[in-house]
Amino acid sequence: MSSAIPTNPEQDALLRAGIDRSLRHPVMFFMTSGAAWLAVSILLGIVSSAKVHSPEFMAGCSWLTYGRVFPAHINAFIYGWGFQVAFAVIIWMTARLSRKECTASGLILTAGHIWNLGVSLGLVGIFAGFSTGMPWMEFPSFVWPVLLVSYFAIVIWSFIQFRVRPEGHVYISQWYILGAMVWFPWIFITANTLLHCLPGHPVMAAGINAWYKSALIFLFFTPVALGTAYYLAPKVTGRPVFSYSLAKLGFWSLAIIAPWAGMQKLAGAPIPYFLPYLGAAATVLLFIPMIAAAINLLRTMLASPEILSGSPSLRFTVAGIGGLIILAFSAVFLNLPDSTLPLTQFSMSSYGFEILALYGFFSFVMFGAVYFIVPRVTRREWLSRRLIKMHFLLSVYGVIVVALVALYGGLEQGKSQEDWQQPWQASATAYPYAVATTIAWCFILFSNVFFFLHLTLMWLRLGRRSSHPTLLAASHGHAVSPHGEDGDIDNAGPGYVSAH
Amino acid sequence: MSLRTFILGLSASFGIAWLAIIVVPFIKMRDLAPVQLTEAADGTTGIFFPKRSGRVADGAQIYAENGCYLCHTQVVRPTYAGNDLYRADWGGLKADPDRGDTRRETNAYDFFGEKFAQIGVSRMGPDLSNLGRRVESIYAVGKDPSQWLYAHLYNPRQEPQRWKSTCPSFRFLFTERKITGNSSDDALPFGRHGNKELIPDSDAKALVSYLLSLKKDQPVPASMNFGPPKKKG
Repeated sequence: MSSAIPTNPEQDALLRAGIDRSLRHPVMFFMTSGAAWLAVSILLGIVSSAKVHSPEFMAGCSWLTYGRVFPAHINAFIYGWGFQVAFAVIIWMTARLSRKECTASGLILTAGHIWNLGVSLGLVGIFAGFSTGMPWMEFPSFVWPVLLVSYFAIVIWSFIQFRVRPEGHVYISQWYILGAMVWFPWIFITANTLLHCLPGHPVMAAGINAWYKSALIFLFFTPVALGTAYYLAPKVTGRPVFSYSLAKLGFWSLAIIAPWAGMQKLAGAPIPYFLPYLGAAATVLLFIPMIAAAINLLRTMLASPEILSGSPSLRFTVAGIGGLIILAFSAVFLNLPDSTLPLTQFSMSSYGFEILALYGFFSFVMFGAVYFIVPRVTRREWLSRRLIKMHFLLSVYGVIVVALVALYGGLEQGKSQEDWQQPWQASATAYPYAVATTIAWCFILFSNVFFFLHLTLMWLRLGRRSSHPTLLAASHGHAVSPHGEDGDIDNAGPGYVSAH
Repeated sequence: MSLRTFILGLSASFGIAWLAIIVVPFIKMRDLAPVQLTEAADGTTGIFFPKRSGRVADGAQIYAENGCYLCHTQVVRPTYAGNDLYRADWGGLKADPDRGDTRRETNAYDFFGEKFAQIGVSRMGPDLSNLGRRVESIYAVGKDPSQWLYAHLYNPRQEPQRWKSTCPSFRFLFTERKITGNSSDDALPFGRHGNKELIPDSDAKALVSYLLSLKKDQPVPASMNFGPPKKKG
């Protein structure tokens, strides 16, 4: 099989260009529609957060009541943005790492449209009042088979590519991506059949739902983001991964610990006592895989400070790994039974934790991947360094405010909830935090509207035709153009009709 | 490592947890045996069966569709997991006029008639495990409890002491209609303008019926009662 691996750099470049071209439309479709859903989700996040401090804001309309806008916000985020950008990264990265062109891009595109249709129907269902009332599974129950079938139609090709790849070393990113590809359907089918199809005990159903939320974060979004970061870090810096055994430790500890986590949200509810406590213990122990991966990746990336200051991909990835470190510490500090768990169980800390995981960690790494992948599949460079910088700064400020306010405001809120000698009304302290959250979501929305426009222009192939990537810092002392160096025009790209 | 070993490793690490905390507890909980009452300890025989009346199934659906679970919980945690039981009116009533202190923790039989226990995700508002009891004995003393709930759902900030409430208004569950003949018994007291009145829709009726069914303070069998001996009223 080894004869299939091109040995000279020119053939290798051609192979990579061929892979990129074969996946151009699916990848750009998932990224762009994901970014559009992200903007929608953030808009809904602003509306729902505004309703917490000003309950009469857009009140009186059934479609826009808090109890429907909030689930729509979080479901659009997860299934609209999170999954779609994950698909883009999964199909591109497995093709590159398996060194196989994609032969099913039409099918993947079709399946992607069906996925989007499912998400749209689900959201209309939530707005129209057909929500199931199960957190993160609020889509009406006819939606999940649609999502599942399109999921298989999208990722099965990546699995096949992995099977038929040239023999050789399996890189850590492939482990994480394969893990995510196997874990997600298992979790999704389990939760949906047990909750929608089989009659069970109502409290156990709530427990399975809590487990589903945690499993989705730690067994789908986390491995996808870590696999991507392990791909980007060595690729952009040109250095090997700091410690490969640490990477393996991180992977297997995640695989062993994460399936047990989640049910701590039901501490004190009438389910078998060991379930919430195992959940709390596992969530605390998740510190190990998170910190192992974070240290490993940071040691790899921070070894090249000059590349870090210039590369948008690396800067977003480092910020995402920063989010991972905060997430790892929060997993410990927010889930200690007998001390912080009773305070965070029913306060806004859970929302802060989820947003930190989904935006502060996962989305940042995904932005890094988008800034890396798009110039390769479109053969155009990013238009504007300023747009990227703005996206980065506003996102960072925004997510720090949303996550930290909710995490630690939630602790305060929990303390006053637990103070049973005070009347209940005294513990309704969400007001200042909700105002801060609304403003922060506005920042994030602003940054992501520009991200979406930038991405759309790139898909239309209106990017810069240059062989110099758009870097965040000019490589010379004196500034060139605000958009980076002009460089040579790339006339060799596939699809270009040669003048000769 | 071959793909087969890898998939086996994944299946083992995930599968053990999956069996231990999802599949087996699901099957066990599904066939939860009823608790027998004994003459010696409980003073009666038979099984423990907390009865609920009202439109539990429909109402729970309205509760779910409108996202009440985002801000309200339905679990009174035992004292090892939180301070809910100390509150005077959450786990029951501290001083029920007939039965004395009726406070108790939530048990697995309390969700009879519901498909999904709305344990809830946060407490922007109070716990609702005993909302029906609270409305009848505290909020709407001497009034019609469903009338009080209709008015509260229509405008949660109407009572002066509730001006800070952040509960959304559920005006969309009510309809304004012309009075023909007698006015409706359910009409909102403040919704009358000329010959028009505000009446709750079928959804609002189901929801209120469900909320009034939330009275999880029945005495539990001695075998399930972990509370200290309580003063009789």
